[in-house]
Amino acid sequence: MSISEQHTVLNPILETLRQKGNSSFAKQGLPTSKNESFKYTKFRELNLDNFVFAKQEHKCCCNEHKLGFDAYEIVFCNGKLCHNHCSGLDKIEVLPLIDAIKDKTSQKYLNKSFDMDNFPFAALNNAYLEQGLFIRVAKDYVSDKPLALVYHLVANEKYFCNIHNVVVLENNAQLDLVEYYYHAGDIKAEYFNNVVNEFFISKNATLNHYKVQNDAFKAFHIALNVANVKQNGRYDSFCLQKGALLARNETVVKLLEEKAQTEVNGAYVINGWATADTSTYIEHLHSETYSNQLVKGVVGDYAKGVFQGKIYIAPDTAKINGYQLHKALLLSDDAVVNVKPELEIFADDVKCSHGSTCGEIDKEQMFYLRSRGISEQNAKQILITAFINELFNKISNPNIISWLKSF
Amino acid sequence: MLKKPDITDSSGDKYKYGFITDIKSESLPKGLNEDIIKLISRKKLEPEWLLGKRLEAFEFWKKMSEPTWAKLCYDKIDYQDLYYYSAPIQKAKPKSLDEVDPKLLQTYEKLGIPLKEQEILSGVVAVDAVFDSVSVATTYRAKLKEQGIIFCSISEAVQEYPELVQKYLGSVVPYTDNFFACLNSAVFTDGSFVYIPKGVKCPMELSTYFRINAKNTGQFERTLIIADEDSYVSYLEGCTAPQRDENQLHAAIVEIVVLKNAEVKYSTVQNWYPGDKDGKGGVYNFVTKRAACRGENAKISWTQVETGSAITWKYPSCILQGDNSSGEFYSVAITNNRQQADTGTKMIHIGKNTKSKIISKGISAGHSNQTYRGLVKIMPKADNARNYSQCDSLLIGKTCGSHTIPYIENSNKNAILEHEATTSKISDDQLFYCRQRGIDETDAIGLIVNGFCKQVLQHLPLEFAIEASKLINISLEGSVG
Repeated sequence: MSISEQHTVLNPILETLRQKGNSSFAKQGLPTSKNESFKYTKFRELNLDNFVFAKQEHKCCCNEHKLGFDAYEIVFCNGKLCHNHCSGLDKIEVLPLIDAIKDKTSQKYLNKSFDMDNFPFAALNNAYLEQGLFIRVAKDYVSDKPLALVYHLVANEKYFCNIHNVVVLENNAQLDLVEYYYHAGDIKAEYFNNVVNEFFISKNATLNHYKVQNDAFKAFHIALNVANVKQNGRYDSFCLQKGALLARNETVVKLLEEKAQTEVNGAYVINGWATADTSTYIEHLHSETYSNQLVKGVVGDYAKGVFQGKIYIAPDTAKINGYQLHKALLLSDDAVVNVKPELEIFADDVKCSHGSTCGEIDKEQMFYLRSRGISEQNAKQILITAFINELFNKISNPNIISWLKSF
Repeated sequence: MLKKPDITDSSGDKYKYGFITDIKSESLPKGLNEDIIKLISRKKLEPEWLLGKRLEAFEFWKKMSEPTWAKLCYDKIDYQDLYYYSAPIQKAKPKSLDEVDPKLLQTYEKLGIPLKEQEILSGVVAVDAVFDSVSVATTYRAKLKEQGIIFCSISEAVQEYPELVQKYLGSVVPYTDNFFACLNSAVFTDGSFVYIPKGVKCPMELSTYFRINAKNTGQFERTLIIADEDSYVSYLEGCTAPQRDENQLHAAIVEIVVLKNAEVKYSTVQNWYPGDKDGKGGVYNFVTKRAACRGENAKISWTQVETGSAITWKYPSCILQGDNSSGEFYSVAITNNRQQADTGTKMIHIGKNTKSKIISKGISAGHSNQTYRGLVKIMPKADNARNYSQCDSLLIGKTCGSHTIPYIENSNKNAILEHEATTSKISDDQLFYCRQRGIDETDAIGLIVNGFCKQVLQHLPLEFAIEASKLINISLEGSVG
């Protein structure tokens, strides 16, 4: 694999982590459809040998703000940390992950929330561990502005962007975290984003995580988000998947203590030959926990939408509510939607439900608009927008809503 | 008002079909190899082509491995430690019921299945009784024959109607389908065969009653139902087994072919011995059931009540090939003690305007685990396909588990698919409502559970529905409190 050429370093801790990742990935290989959690997502087109790491840092355009709203911005360019507008904040500690590994700050957290033997891409991520951040929000601190991680690609090489972030919220802290992936060069660029985010949400802390993935249409994007939520903590996420040839956003939420809550919402709006996979796994590991999921998809052309959602309720728990809803609109004859909403329940005092619907745009709604003189194209657009907009009702920050609507 | 199940005297032993019939039977030696298959085939005087098919399936089976994807946990089955053929010894082939061993008749009488035609309530049900590996009697054959309906055991059908059997056997479930179907294709011993000719509405319910009696014997039966154009049949299946400490294996195949404008209604009340409260004994039930709607407007409806078996692995499916064809699946599955069930359905929409409906109700109690696993697949050509699925689960007690795993694959934009599932326990409000009206707790739970299952039970033929509703109460006995 040519991506193994990189790196000069080394530090023994980092070296061990990489070796572990390497051997775990070698054992698992790229997942096939025999792997139940990748049943509907095929990796035939992904050839790891094609990708290389960006050699040097690209410093061209990173001083301007990428987002339309006020935020603490950190920019990654071609998969490398490029500009950090946040150094010097006193309540939010932002370190390159590699430094946090070296001085052992991250030791308590890194790779502690999942077993990489079950996540092939997370193993791959560890095998090439270097880029990424360690973010810690201090106790009782409520961030005044969102913290935005902007990942952009400016070159046309087949870059491998391997990023691992660890975000820790101490007791009572609050943070809005924005992740924005996009491409600024040739739209035909092929690259591979492989991201792992680990979130540790302490007592009474709240993390709102917003992600927009708008990668180039031949790119690959694989992301794993693991959130560990403690007592009365809250992890809310919204992920919009719009680009890439093959995108997978997997969210694992572990509700570890009572009154831990989570809302995992998302949307995928895809066309062309794209595949967008939204996978969720909510583990209710303690009594009195709550989860809710709402995922909507709009699929056109030859695209394929995948939703796999699982709610797990551990034995000996009680008073748990877990809900899940998935709705998809198919716009073309060749579009495909595959859905697998799962419930795995080992306790009786629970209320769980899931629902899934799938269909084309309602003909009556269409007729209503058309009969009022709206063109077919516009009517369709209005209905799709309305379909997706429902998701934004749950977001409290108006800046972020209008930013999300701009896609 | 529901009657309280009269099981109080049975000292916790609720399986009333657990008796053993003491009857001489002959078995082929234990184990599975080509010679055994040849012997089975010879015993049944089968033609060469069928033996060829069996051996082909066996060759294939040897290369297969047992599936592990189901959420089931059981000791590995030793396929060489089983008898593959066991039949009660009868002098010659009985020509009429009078010649059937009275012990066998008694067994069925005890099970509530009278085989003497005059005893059957005004002739509403015709029965094929399968005992271990062979069919012992089929009632009302002559009467059905008048209308051209063929209802007999599959061994007889092989002799008498080879062209029909050869045309359809294995056409819905090929031996390559799955591990257990392949095993069945190699060693199946008996089962029922039904052919309803063009334009005939079958005047009575047809039914097969399966009984496993012998020890360490696998029952591998095969049912083939063919409904020709414009015909209708309602078919019932019942099953019980004696109470033994070892596990018994049951791996069956049911194939149904529904042609243009025909309708088949298939109802099952599965009450194999579920094992005792610690999970000892019980039947391993690995069944492949599939119906193919081959013509336009064909209709198939599966209704099942699953209360027995230690392990249930069963996914009655519908292949909706013909335009406008429809498939329905109604299921109640109840697991108690250490029972495990992984059951559901598959709806494959191929033709245009095809419709399917899934109503699945699962109730788990005790230490049992239950999984609904279903597939709804819409092929690109299935314009205007419509599916509605509802899977509800009820949990009784803290130690049971209930899982829902639906797969929904849609490749057609005109299709409308809806799926909903809920899981909860019996609500305190409902229970309180019943209790304050003077209904004791057991009855109240029976009432609520029956109400929960009503949507499914109402699709059963009347006699079955009453039986099933009683069975539900009995199965849950002892799970509360």
